[in-house]
Formats: sequence, structure tokens, C-alpha cells
Amino acid sequence: MSGLTKKDSVNVFGAALTRRELISGGGALLVGFGLAGSGVLNQTAAAAVAKNSLDPALPESWIEIHPDNTILIRTGKSDFGQSTTFTAYRQIVAEELNAKFEAITTVIMGDTDRTPDGSGAFDFLGRGTPNIRKAAAYTYQALLDLASQRLGVPKDRITVKDGVVSAGGKRMTYGALVQGQHLQLTIPVSGDLTSPMGLTVTGNPPMKPVSAYTIIGKPHRNSVVASKVSAREQWATDVRLPGMLHARMLHPKTLGSTLVSAGAVDQKRFPNARVVVKGNLVGVVAPTEWEAIRAAEQVARTTKWSDWKGLPGNANLTDYLRKADWTTTRVTKSDKSRGDAAAGLAGASKKLSATYEFPFLKHAPIGPTMAVADVRPDGTVHIHTHNQNPQALRGEIAQMLGTSIDKVVVRSYSGPGHYGRSNGGNSGGEDEAVILSKEVGRPVRVQWMRPDDFQWSTQSPAAIADVEIGLDAKGKMVAYQVDHYMPAMQDDRPVGAILAGLPTMAAPNEKADFLGSTVNGLEDPWVYDGVGILAEHGHGTFQVGQKESPLAIGLRDHSMRTPGQFQQNYPRELAVSEAAALAGADSIQFRIDHATEDRVVGVLKAVRDASGWQTRPSPAPHAAAAGDQPMRGRGVSLMLRSGSYWACVCEIAVTPSTGKIQVEKYTIAVDPGIVVNPLQLKRQVEGGAVMGISHALLEEAQFDESGITARDWRTYPILKMADIPEIKVVLMHKPEVGYYGGGSEAANALAAPALAAALYDATGKKARRLPLKPAYIQELLKA
Amino acid sequence: MATILVNGVRREVQAPADTPLLYVLRNDLELSGPQFGCGMAQCGSCSVLLDGKEIRSCITPLSAAANKEVTTLEGLPARWAKQRGLSAADAAHTLHPVQQAWIEEQTPLCGFCQNGMMIKATELLERNATPSAAEIKEAFTNSGPSAHLCRCGSYTAILEAVQRAGAVMAKGGKA
Repeated sequence: MSGLTKKDSVNVFGAALTRRELISGGGALLVGFGLAGSGVLNQTAAAAVAKNSLDPALPESWIEIHPDNTILIRTGKSDFGQSTTFTAYRQIVAEELNAKFEAITTVIMGDTDRTPDGSGAFDFLGRGTPNIRKAAAYTYQALLDLASQRLGVPKDRITVKDGVVSAGGKRMTYGALVQGQHLQLTIPVSGDLTSPMGLTVTGNPPMKPVSAYTIIGKPHRNSVVASKVSAREQWATDVRLPGMLHARMLHPKTLGSTLVSAGAVDQKRFPNARVVVKGNLVGVVAPTEWEAIRAAEQVARTTKWSDWKGLPGNANLTDYLRKADWTTTRVTKSDKSRGDAAAGLAGASKKLSATYEFPFLKHAPIGPTMAVADVRPDGTVHIHTHNQNPQALRGEIAQMLGTSIDKVVVRSYSGPGHYGRSNGGNSGGEDEAVILSKEVGRPVRVQWMRPDDFQWSTQSPAAIADVEIGLDAKGKMVAYQVDHYMPAMQDDRPVGAILAGLPTMAAPNEKADFLGSTVNGLEDPWVYDGVGILAEHGHGTFQVGQKESPLAIGLRDHSMRTPGQFQQNYPRELAVSEAAALAGADSIQFRIDHATEDRVVGVLKAVRDASGWQTRPSPAPHAAAAGDQPMRGRGVSLMLRSGSYWACVCEIAVTPSTGKIQVEKYTIAVDPGIVVNPLQLKRQVEGGAVMGISHALLEEAQFDESGITARDWRTYPILKMADIPEIKVVLMHKPEVGYYGGGSEAANALAAPALAAALYDATGKKARRLPLKPAYIQELLKA
Repeated sequence: MATILVNGVRREVQAPADTPLLYVLRNDLELSGPQFGCGMAQCGSCSVLLDGKEIRSCITPLSAAANKEVTTLEGLPARWAKQRGLSAADAAHTLHPVQQAWIEEQTPLCGFCQNGMMIKATELLERNATPSAAEIKEAFTNSGPSAHLCRCGSYTAILEAVQRAGAVMAKGGKA
């Protein structure tokens, strides 16, 4: 057989292709990752590739090409409903390999022992170059090298179509190229596997030019959809291990309570149940789920906690934030800030000064968090869960137990969307399941009940923003100043570990370098470059109640869809709409007049055309703030996120006498450059639009002095089907941009500022806080 | 010990009579369609059909299902096959039109709530195969113990899938 001899190693643009051994039958090209030179890698990265991870020395891999011409891909990124790993990743790999989409028959994701990289369920498309694309590009070059040797022609004379190489009248499939061989490609990576950002494939393999794309840009179905709708999917909720106990948690009475005494199980009623206490962590375990639930209810009645009141209550939130200490955390300033804002504002003909208030929001997965953990006598820990960052979870569990990460394996399954809540590695129940399993010596399944999930999970942080805009005599914005105030957004400490008094990372603080920092970064890229003077500042502080709680818990925050940017884009876009009204200008034309980038102008014109927008200033000529008749208005918003440009128009009807707002039509345009999969992107955008309307109209995590008071879907309502508008999605496929932008989550952030602007258009009244609930609107319209 | 009829099969279960049906279906019978969403009949993730009517299995005691027919997501294909008189061979590789429409329309995002959405759609379309958009919204919002909630915001896709499935069912299964 021709091909590589035993000692051959081919340099493939910095990656090394070797044949490990000749094997009879079978065979595969296995693409793993290798550690590049010590100059590239820091020491944590080398240490982080543990024994039970895919290792460069082992044949597990990113991509396997099998003799039967099927292809398997692996990614550490877990799909949470985005469909990206099941469709876009297949398209990207098939494109780079010049293989058929259908040839990729298997996608393995998330499992820490079976996938090569880590990181969270965000930035899937990696600004056009996700890890899997580079891995595929290296693989393609290796296949060409193999083909060159087998066909006896130079690489540049080989053509490839649908996984078949041909040159000089000879043809071979990829399967035939790898048949009978066991080949390994070692590619360079950098980073830290269990850090929130995971590993990055490095180097610069040649990649397919966008002009040659035939698979990217086409609609493809998500294979997991069929599995889910036909009840064949393996959900995290389905995992049952031999000898497993069911558990329910008894979380403390408040976010600052400590345990006084745990109640006892009534053994007559619940003969098989048992209370487990570790510090302030209390759980009840039983062989059946119903006994665990009933026994937990009984034990809760006699369990005593200390009282605690250390929160301001949401009615006093703005005052509390005003008085918070913002001085110990470094103030951030946007890159584009320029000019003397004070002078610019002082010299303005007209000035807008406004404060915008953004509430705490819950991620509110439709299923409460759950996990199964098995802490075995040999010290290994196996966790079965649904998590956006399994590698980071693994690091957190190892830290909690004081063990090494090679002892911890996390398997990830389908489950309810988390919207960012577990991107830092834990969703709430995993660490508790581990602690209980270790205590009882059996596998334990922790299922949070609905109130646990509302009251003991993290939330998206509240924020306030002070905006000042100066207009010149012609109504042009000459100066824009904003100060954003937001408590720390990223608290990845596992709550069970905190309660049990076990090691965690530090609580959010000023010194943390990125995640876990109190620093409030500027997350909303400025898009109105025609404005001469710009001063954007971010102010950060500790989480609400963090310092006051004896447990250092307080209102723990976590990034949620469009994190930080949502809190900053809402005030900007609403203020710009108000500035347009102050200038007597149409709010889309006003934005276009201050933009210099073609793509900003393009997305605004697209949404204007698609929505049938009438050019005129706000408020509408018929605007009124009283009466029983619905008043109609429209508003616009704009965002640049992850290389994609977004604009939406909301059209509403508001009835002044009731304060009820109905969104009648929602038009959204997106220019992501290349649209990878129009079918899936459309569904993602529709979903984001609905979630965004829900945030804007209904959502606020209410809390009193002791904790979150929301406990179910009545106290934290979300949008229902009857309340959805007609949704129109405009996808702007622009291959000439040369890359695919990400950030389809942006759709959820666009509704709030557009809706508040539409309310002003309809009534002439300015709503500057969220949510736009009827009671607030009634009060606002009467004022 | 209780005997219940699930997806056309008589099953004996060893669970206290007050056990919510959801835990019996998931833990004793190893069915994975119905999901635990709230345990309070507020979201619809756990829905099943009980004698053709959508109920919330998270608050329905096992005793209430005795002598009644339970249909879960797993049982929708057989339910459709029986209604249409399909042969066993055909039934084995036929999905219910609701499930098929959910695939055609690529309806689920995370998909966790979709069990209840498909159960609700089946209940609705068995009564009225050609509902208007307003009737669909009404059914998913105001009929039954609570609105069916989707956190990912897939309501538009659900509405389109219900209409697609209804068109198939109205024609007796021919797409």
C-alpha cells in the first residue's frame, strides 16, 4: 500500500500529520490537538489537559473521517437550542473539507472526556473563525497531502468535490484515503481548557474562500429537532444511575440566613428518606422522587434558619445604587470616547439629560436546574447535567473538592435553555448533587423545584445610566455622554459550595482580571460616528447584598443574553430616539444622519423599508395620553454585536386608560455578513424577538429585604402566545463582507428601547424604566 | 399497586396513589416525553392526554389516571395510526402529523416545553383541524390549567406548525 511510511511526518501549515500504525481494516484520520511550543502555551494550558480529556497523544479528536466516508465532529460547545453545533458547525466543516453536509453523521458536544476544547455556549461562530473551522481547514490540507501521495500528483493539481479527490483521471474518496491507516494530525492550540474561555486553535491554515462556498448560506435542518419531537432524545432529566437517590434541597430562608437547626425526617411517614447537612447546605434524599419531595416538605417545616435583612428591596433599588460605592472599582472608558464632553454639552443649543433604569431579570429556564452526580470510592466524580460550560464546571467541582480535574468528568445532555446562566460553568444543582453524593456514598439526582430556581439562581444585573446629549442649532448631535452603573455581572461561585463552606473562586471583586470582576466594561459598540464628542464610561461595584450577607451571597448575578450590552444599548437607543424628537427629526433618518458606516445605514434602511415606516418626527400627530381607545406608535433601535448589525421597528397599540401595551408588529433586520443557515437564523431571531418583548413588557425580578420574592410563573410572568406580534425577519446575506457574524441573541435586547420609543410616539410620554407594565404606564400617562 | 393504560398498554406500577402521574411516567415507566417544568400546572411542559383531554401530569395523582387512557408524546404516532387505521408496518415508521409538522417547521429551540405544545396541538386539532391563528393563540393561552409557556420564544414557529399539521389532519393524513 502506498502512503505514509511509518516514520513519516508531514508538516501541514504548522500542524503535524503522522501515521500512528498501519492497521488492517477500519482506519481513520483522527484530528486531535497538540501542544505547540512552550512559547505559545502558558503552563495552565498544559496542566489543564488532564488524563481523561482528549489528549494530543491519544487518537480521540475533533474530526474523524471514516473508511465508509462518514465524518464525526466534536466540540466542547454545548448547543442549548441555538442549533449551531448541529447545523452551522456541520456546514462549516463540510465546506472546509469539500465534503457533503450529510456526510457528517455524528456530532459529539460538551462532554469533558470526549470533546477537545472547552468554553461556553456563546460566540459559537467565533467572529467567522470558530475552532472547528480551523480544525477542518488543517484536516483538509492533510487530506490533500495524503491524496498527493496516493495519486502521485502535486497538491495543487488535485480537485475535491463532495469528499472525492481526483487528479490525472484517478479518483478516491476520503474514506478510501484513510482506509487501513491510522493517521493523526496534531494541530496547535493555546489557552486553558477549564477556563471560561477554553482553548483556541491557533495558526493559519489556508481556508476556503467565501466566493467558493456552496454549503454555507443554504437552509439546513437541525438533526436534533426530530429526536426531540419524537421522544427519542436523551435529556439530562432522563439520566438514572443504579442505586441513585433522588434529592430535594432545603435552601436557606433568606440570602443571608445561616442554619440554626435542621429538622428530622418523620420516619413513620418517610421510612427511606434521610436529611443530609453540610454547613448551611441541607438536602433530603430518598429512593423515590415523590418520597424525597414529600419528606423535604416535612423537614422544611421544622428546620430553623437565622433571619436576615440586607437587601434594599426593589422599590428602593435606584436609591441604593445611587448610594453604592462606585469608587473602589476602576472606571472604564470606551475606545471611541473623544473630545471635551463638558464643553460640548455646555455649548449645545438643545440638551437632553435623562436617567434610564434597567431591572434585575431572571434567565428563567423553562425547566429548573437539575444534575446527577456520582462520587465514587476511588475519588472520581461523574456529573450528568445540562450545562453551557462543562469544562469550567469541571474546574469548579475539582476546586470545591480539593482534587485535580482529571478526577472529574462532566457529561452534558439536552435540557432547557439557560440563556447564559451556566456559561461560567454551573447552573446551581451540580455542586449540590456532588456534595450530597459524597456524603451518602451513592449517586444523587438533585432537582430544583420551581421556587428554588427563581430564588437561588443568579440573575441578570440591574443597571442605571445617566445620559446627556447636546444638539446644535440644526438639530445634529454634537456631544454624547453616558455613565453606566451596574453591579458585578459574573458570579460563577457554585452556590452549593458556598452554602457548604467548601472552596470556590473569590466573590466578585475589583482585582479579578476578567470574569468575577466588579469592573463594568463598555459592551455596546458606538455606531454614530458622525457625533464629534463622545464620553462613554462604565462604573462597577459589588453585587447587591454581597457585602451584607454573612454568606457573601446577596443577589448573585450572571451574564444573560446580550450581557452588559443589553443594559447599555437600552439607554443609548432610547436616548437617541428622544434626541431625534428633540431635534424634530424622524428617528430612523436621525440615526442615518449620524452614521458613517455603510452597514449601519444599510440595516436601518432595510428595516425602514420592510416595516413600511412613514418618515416623520415623534410623537405621532394623533398622540394622546388619555382615553379608552388604543393609541398607535412606532419606535426603532439599533445594535452592533459580534460583527452583526441589527435594527428593529416595534409598532404598538397602548390603551391609556388601562396602561396595557400590545405589540402589533415587530420588524427586524440583521446583516451578519454571511448568513450561514437562513432557516435556523430566522427561528433564532423570532425567538429572541419574543423574549425581548417579554423582558420589555413584563419582566422584573422582584425582591424584598431578604431575597428574591418571585417563586413561580405567576410572580415572574413571561409573554404568552396570545401576546405575540406579527414578526417579520429580514436576513441580509452579504458574502462580500467575508465572514459570518454571530450574536443572534441580540434580537432579545432590541425590543425594549424600540418599545419605549413607540410608547412616546403614541402618547408623547417618556418611559425611562423597565418593564412597561400597565400600572407603571397608567401612572406615567396621568403625570 | 395501580394499573394504568399508557399509550395503549396496560402497565402495573408500584407507587403510592397520591404520586403525581409525571413521576410515574418518567421514573417508573421510563417515558421521557413529559418534562418537569414547574410542578404547579403553570407551564405545560408535563402535559399528557387523559382520555383525549390535555392535563398536567405534575399535579394529577396516579389515582386519577386509573381506568383512563393516558397518551404521552411517545404514544402520538400510534394514536394517529389507530385513528387512521394504518397497518402495523406503516404505523411503525409514521410520526403523528403534529410531530412531523414540528420537524418541517423546525419549531423547537431548546425544545424542553415542546412536549406540552405538541400535546396541546393534538388536543386542539382532534377537535378542530383548521383553527384560525386566533383560535390557536386562544387554545395555547387560555384553555386548560394555564397558558403553555415557551421561554425561548418559539410561539410563531408553534403557530405555523399547528396550521401545517392541521392541514394534513384535515385531509386525513395526506400532506
